[in-house]
Amino acid sequence: MTEKLLSVSELSVANAARPGDAPILDHVSFDVAPGEALAIIGRSGAGKSVLGRSLMGWTEAPLTVTGGSVSLGGEEVLEAAPDALRRIRGTGIGYVGADPTRVFDPTLPVGRQIAEKYRAVRPGVSMKEALERVHELFNLVRIPEARHRMEELPSKYSGGMIQRAAIVDAMIGETKLVIADNVTQPLDVTVAAQIIRLFQDLRERLGTAFIFITSSVPTIKDFADRIVVMDKGRIVESGPTRQLLEAPQTEASGQLIAQSPKIWGTTAPESLSASDELNRPAALSITAVRRTYKVPRKDKLFGSVFVQAVRGADFDVYPGESLAIVGESGCGKSTLMRLLTWLEEPDDGAVHFHGKNVGTFTKKERFDLRAQLQLVLQDPYGSIPAHWTIGRTISESLRLHSDLGGKARRARVEATMAEVGLDPALYDKLPSGLSAGQRQRINVARAIVLEPTVLLLDETFSALDPMEQTPLIELFRTLQRERAITCIFISHDLALVRRVASRVAVMYLGRIVEIGSNENVFGRPLHPYTRALLSAAPTIEASPYDPGECLVDGEPPSPIRLPKGCAFAERCPVSRPECLESDPMLRNTLARGRIACHFPLARGMLESAETKEEISRVG
Amino acid sequence: MTSDISTAPLAAPKPALPSTRELAMGKRIWLATRSSPWFLLGAGLFGLLLLMALVSVFVFQVDPTKMNFVDKFTPPIFSEGANPAFPLGTDQLGRDMLSRALVGLQITFLIGLAATALSFVIGSAVGLYAGFVGGKIDQLLMRVVDIQMSIPPIILAITILGLARATPALVIAVLVLATWPNYARLTRAGALAERGQEYVRAARVLGASDIRIILLMVAPVALPPMAFAAVFDLARMMIFECVLDFLGIGLQPPTPTLGVIIADGRKYLINAWWIAVLPGVFLMLLLLSLNMMGTALERARNAVFEGAK
Repeated sequence: MTEKLLSVSELSVANAARPGDAPILDHVSFDVAPGEALAIIGRSGAGKSVLGRSLMGWTEAPLTVTGGSVSLGGEEVLEAAPDALRRIRGTGIGYVGADPTRVFDPTLPVGRQIAEKYRAVRPGVSMKEALERVHELFNLVRIPEARHRMEELPSKYSGGMIQRAAIVDAMIGETKLVIADNVTQPLDVTVAAQIIRLFQDLRERLGTAFIFITSSVPTIKDFADRIVVMDKGRIVESGPTRQLLEAPQTEASGQLIAQSPKIWGTTAPESLSASDELNRPAALSITAVRRTYKVPRKDKLFGSVFVQAVRGADFDVYPGESLAIVGESGCGKSTLMRLLTWLEEPDDGAVHFHGKNVGTFTKKERFDLRAQLQLVLQDPYGSIPAHWTIGRTISESLRLHSDLGGKARRARVEATMAEVGLDPALYDKLPSGLSAGQRQRINVARAIVLEPTVLLLDETFSALDPMEQTPLIELFRTLQRERAITCIFISHDLALVRRVASRVAVMYLGRIVEIGSNENVFGRPLHPYTRALLSAAPTIEASPYDPGECLVDGEPPSPIRLPKGCAFAERCPVSRPECLESDPMLRNTLARGRIACHFPLARGMLESAETKEEISRVG
Repeated sequence: MTSDISTAPLAAPKPALPSTRELAMGKRIWLATRSSPWFLLGAGLFGLLLLMALVSVFVFQVDPTKMNFVDKFTPPIFSEGANPAFPLGTDQLGRDMLSRALVGLQITFLIGLAATALSFVIGSAVGLYAGFVGGKIDQLLMRVVDIQMSIPPIILAITILGLARATPALVIAVLVLATWPNYARLTRAGALAERGQEYVRAARVLGASDIRIILLMVAPVALPPMAFAAVFDLARMMIFECVLDFLGIGLQPPTPTLGVIIADGRKYLINAWWIAVLPGVFLMLLLLSLNMMGTALERARNAVFEGAK
């Protein structure tokens, strides 16, 4: 490497408040060439983010740089005077973080804020010129209606759009290097894939170098030229992307790669679709369920708008199976979950539990239903009361639903704790200090101590890192086998769904668009949206669906103003004029699945030849 | 931090360390408070005064309203012309100052504690319920709180106590009316924050009733911070009670409350300073002890929360 844009040598950072601890960065050295895309990967806590910030001379107490140097184009960053540092940050290195909503002042229009930054780093530029420049970049990052969006406040932006604006903010000073720290983490898969594509495009057009910091290997596999692997504050391995991914030399990188999600390389759990189980009466049957929220208008004093969160969801769950409901944020998964657990009642449609309509239940019957249908929540920290001992938390279920005495209750709770892999000695302990995985086990114990027949898992595994995920998934398999529990997974994580679900339902804007066996949905998706989701899923393997061909542009329309025809038509790569006119209904496919599309990707798979069925839309 | 635990799937977790981290926040604050010398001093003083007020009923059988014109204006002990029968001297009517001051202390304690406890209970109940349930009920209750807060306490006191004869119960009622909205507002904020927590949703899915969730889950989280406010409020209540008595709209003579005695003694300040000053010293010591405890609690809380980061 003859030319160096950034050169880091022997950089060490330690926490001054904890002198005894190992340093956070331990003699880190690497170089970045102009226009290069470098990925820094490592498990959470490896020191990646601290490294990213240190490169900009951004170490706050108690963190202190204890040695080494960072030089940008020959200029030392760590010892730069405040003036020089400001110039470096404005025109040398740009930074995009994981939480772009906090980058902008909520009271000023986005475009103006960025223009001001430009004027600060490029003295003598007029506001008009600066705004012009911002407009140019807004177009470059493909923010639609750039001129209009520039004048809007940050709160009007969606997650993907604000991330684009944050990228503009980082690049406005014609920076030669952009550090992107975990930028895709808060985004939905299709939007995250768009952002990655955008980075690629910017690099080609502007020749900017990128340092991409992430814990997810698949995100950068097509983007980075070179990978640096970090573990416990040290660089353990570095090399060209392909070479490193194919033949990792160290254990740390091997583990990172091995734990990366796979979809096509794994086998689905035994499918139920071929067996008798689908012929049994449904355990839970959801018919044409709707839920609309009335939300007061923000821009006016009076009046309200209607948000159609769930618009006629239709599916059955069979005893003993595990059904996964997948979809991006805002597709109505959470509302559906609240409807299934009867925390809210549907406006329309019915939920049948073992053939009985829950809507007609008495209060007592509904209370008894709760012992049958339990929920395991996502957040391992918030879902457990911090001031209760673990035993108290788990026994609350029994206190409510059984009349066991204190001793019998404790024995039952301890047995359940042992079953989910918690040490019964923890009974009298508070949950503080437990890892996320352990906490999720408490959650599981709380749900299964009542011996429910149906278990809802609302993103239960997504807060766990891969090391913790695997044993917990194993636990669920065991529980399901031994207790014949019906599981409903609600998740956005396709790789996880591939591993755990026997059937998969894909949700888009409040409606099920495709439902079928795991093999069929992943192997032969019929709905264009399913295919788009699959192509965007970050996996380590080569996707059979070319993102260039299948990936969708834009973001889902607002559930307030839904289009007249198919809700997906605007983003659909294969849509035709009919799609904008009429809304497709769920139809049976030959493979015992159902799909809502006028023009499915494989026509022959449909049971009937009818292609035009209209659902009367409830206005 | 997480990896060392999770590498042993399904195995027993590593033995829990009996560190202070395991203790609940409240307990840790209490531990830190207890070791503060200021708190001990304040608590000691408070305890002493409380003991004196309680014991005086049984030990000093002197009637605080018994007049004794022969011994009027007797100075307290250690001054010229003191009478050992009246350690703190007598007032213009020859009434024993010690027993008067102690009875005054009793009344102050009774009114202060009762008013604080009642405002705490009423305010917290309203705040917890409003914050947790939300919606229209929340709006309604909070508007009541706003209306109540918009009435200045002194106007409220003058109006109520001017219409009816002041009794301890009525004074307590005035104080509670003036104070409960503060508690309602503060607890509402706490309940509002807890309402959205996942564990509340989990409890709802289990079928727990609102009241059960509020009492067992939300209250233990939302109420302890109120206890800090209550310690300072106790002092505020006591002052307010004395002010009402002093102004003549609270409890009336001959009931010997600290406010009444000070108001009385004002007229004789030049000749018999002790009539006004000694009850004032009692009051000052009482408030000092409360503020010392309150400050120690607050410092401990700050230290614990800082340390938890």
